[in-house]
Amino acid sequence: MARKKKKIDEERTHRKFKEKGGFELDLRMKREAITDPFTEVPPAEEMTVFLRQHVGPEAKPLIQEGDFVEYGEKIGGIEEDEEWGVPVHSPVNGIVKEIKMMEHPVSGDEERIVVIETEDEETKPYYDPLDPKDVTKDELLERIKEAGIVGLGGAICPTNVKLSYAKDKVSHLIINAKESDPNIACDVRLISERAEEMIDGIKLMAYIIGADNIVFATRTQEGELPEFENLLKREKNIDIVRVRPNYSIGYGRLLITEILGKEIPQDTHSYDMGALVHNVGTAYAVYKAIREGEPLVSRGITYYSKDIGGRNLWVRIGTPVKHIMDFVDAPAIDFERVALGSIMMGPAISDPSIPITKADSGVTGFTEKEPHPYEDKTWCIRCGYCNEVCPMDLYPQLIMKAEKKGDKKRLRQLNTDVCIDCGLCSFVCPARINYRPILSRAKSEM
Amino acid sequence: MLEEEKKARPYKVVNPPHVHIGLDKNELMLKTFLLMSIIAYASVMVMGLQALFHILVALGTVLVVYNSVTAYQRWKGVKPTYDSPGSPLVAGMIVGLAMPLESPYLVTVVVAFMTMFVFKYIQGKYLDHKYLNPVATSKSIVLLALYGVATLNVFEGALQGGMLFHPHHYQHNMMGGFADMMGFFESAFVDTIPFFGIEISATQAHFFWQPHGWIGSGMGIVVLVVGSIAVYWLRYKWRIVVSTLGTMTILAIVAALVWQNGDISTADMITMRIAFHVFSGSILFMAFFMATEPQSTPMPEFSQFLFGVGLAVLTFVFQLNGFLGGSIIALVIMNMTTPLLDRIVIKKPYGHRVKSVVD
Ligand code: SF4
Ligand code: SF4
Repeated sequence: MARKKKKIDEERTHRKFKEKGGFELDLRMKREAITDPFTEVPPAEEMTVFLRQHVGPEAKPLIQEGDFVEYGEKIGGIEEDEEWGVPVHSPVNGIVKEIKMMEHPVSGDEERIVVIETEDEETKPYYDPLDPKDVTKDELLERIKEAGIVGLGGAICPTNVKLSYAKDKVSHLIINAKESDPNIACDVRLISERAEEMIDGIKLMAYIIGADNIVFATRTQEGELPEFENLLKREKNIDIVRVRPNYSIGYGRLLITEILGKEIPQDTHSYDMGALVHNVGTAYAVYKAIREGEPLVSRGITYYSKDIGGRNLWVRIGTPVKHIMDFVDAPAIDFERVALGSIMMGPAISDPSIPITKADSGVTGFTEKEPHPYEDKTWCIRCGYCNEVCPMDLYPQLIMKAEKKGDKKRLRQLNTDVCIDCGLCSFVCPARINYRPILSRAKSEM
Repeated sequence: MLEEEKKARPYKVVNPPHVHIGLDKNELMLKTFLLMSIIAYASVMVMGLQALFHILVALGTVLVVYNSVTAYQRWKGVKPTYDSPGSPLVAGMIVGLAMPLESPYLVTVVVAFMTMFVFKYIQGKYLDHKYLNPVATSKSIVLLALYGVATLNVFEGALQGGMLFHPHHYQHNMMGGFADMMGFFESAFVDTIPFFGIEISATQAHFFWQPHGWIGSGMGIVVLVVGSIAVYWLRYKWRIVVSTLGTMTILAIVAALVWQNGDISTADMITMRIAFHVFSGSILFMAFFMATEPQSTPMPEFSQFLFGVGLAVLTFVFQLNGFLGGSIIALVIMNMTTPLLDRIVIKKPYGHRVKSVVD
């Protein structure tokens, strides 16, 4: 990797940039969780692993009922020609009980899951560790693919695909540790608890794509994570950018614009503009896969409910939500609504037996006492709050009107497809209009 | 609920986001009402009990309409249009503050009734949103009706009786004779600030203590401060306020430079013009609390600026022609342009402001 230091614009790198989004979110949920170290959640008696946990085709089951599977063993494989395919692995040593259908929390459709009866909690690397000095970059990419790594910041794109597209094209690798969701603090815990490994993962990714500059975007303040900051000081080509803690989606393209001053055209990939954004959790997963030979079978999440507060947990993928709730002493029946991942963008689940997938950074429980955000919906008063907060500079209210009329031309004119589902328009709407279904209908009408 | 039932119960599935900022329509209305109450308090101090009665009459009328319609809707098994009196109260307060002090109470009742029943309930029911500002439209209709009655000689003195605008304003030359008009205003309405005994000029009266005109204009400075707080705190469409008041200020300065008076310095003339053209209730109060009415004003940012500029220019033209309460008609005219303004100058979203690098 070229070590030559190219200093990016000092001002841009170290200033606290102004984020889009006119309203500050209540970050109390997060504040409580920031200081809570990860607690390992033991696997459930029955683990349920979706065969599709990313944006791309479902993996094909490689096992049958009654098979014994090892921790880290591939249970869902992909075809040679499936560029966007991602394998899935067993999170435990155990026996395959069945392959059945279950409602997928993201698609809402019935999709295949593998149910594994846990035999023991033992973990050991499934693959041999790799030394980047001894293997080619393509072999490293192959390992990342084989380990089933996807973007853990919410985008869930196959990491190997993103890295290979960007290879030798980008000058900047931006690590998104911003974690702007109000209920999630697992990334900041990862930074403070597993800093060395994470930094190594970042360097491995930069090495693969040939990026000379690494920008670490965090919302933590100077001195908040002293050990991590000391470690980072040793890294001459990693710049730290401090961002305000407001929610503004952490959307990769906007982050690039804010840091590098480049707007990414709608039909252009960020790597064509010389920059690539990866989440901090993904960097850690890359480290685990390459240096320790462990596929992506566990991740950090933040559990939050009012009575318990924020708890950071290290969970195996496929752990049912109910098991996690029992672990933190928050019985599933106490809740009226449960959301996975970010409370701004993550899906609500209908059933606590639904498992954690690679996409989920959190579990949040709401009791009957907590108000349903859209229960008292009224009509739009055209206050324009939704326009003001939209980080993509859209007009959600005008989109809603055009969608209602079925006016496709107008929907195109309003560039509805630019919407990134950040949820800010619904969050601020005084009429309590939930835009998610309106915007999805509008996008599909286009 | 039985424990077993509870266990079997699936969770309520709600689309994200799963939280709300907490500021809803009712709270927005309540906060607006509270802020306007400060202006009302200041105006009553300046204008006395007559102002208070106008406000109470307007509030009472909208509440009677609101309670009657809500009771009817409940009786019919229909969900009430307004689940709290917040929005009606705001409308009532605007009616009260937008009435000239000298107007008969009956006119206030008529305007408040039309505002609430015709332009809030009926307009809201039959159109997809309120295209016209309820208070401005009601006031304009009453004004035009009185004008019609007066010009057809059906009832002489209808305009004076209605007092929605003052026919004697026609006598003033608002161009070259502006200073004389201010002199007349000073001699007729301005004296000293009670309690403090400070003697003030017509110009100062527009800023601090104006016992004449729209009730909402009693203390111009209070309207400015409270209005600015409302814009910042409740995020009103600030572009409309800025462009309306900004354009009025520019036009006032231009007018001061064009129609000079040998006895008065240019600086004094400019101050006088700004005091009159910007700090009259029909401008200042309207710019903050009527022109920003969300439903009847445009959504795109640049269109909001155009709206404000158009409103100011029309109002200024009316003012120059002696039609001093004409700002509400200007507002209704601008409301009519909103559907068009909603369609033009849509700003480009992220990703569309730069050229594609894909071949
Ligand atoms: S925030 Fe809600 S009420 Fe306001 S304009 Fe947007 S959709 Fe309408
Ligand atoms: S329109 Fe889309 S991008 Fe804009 S605020 Fe709403 S959800 Fe976010």
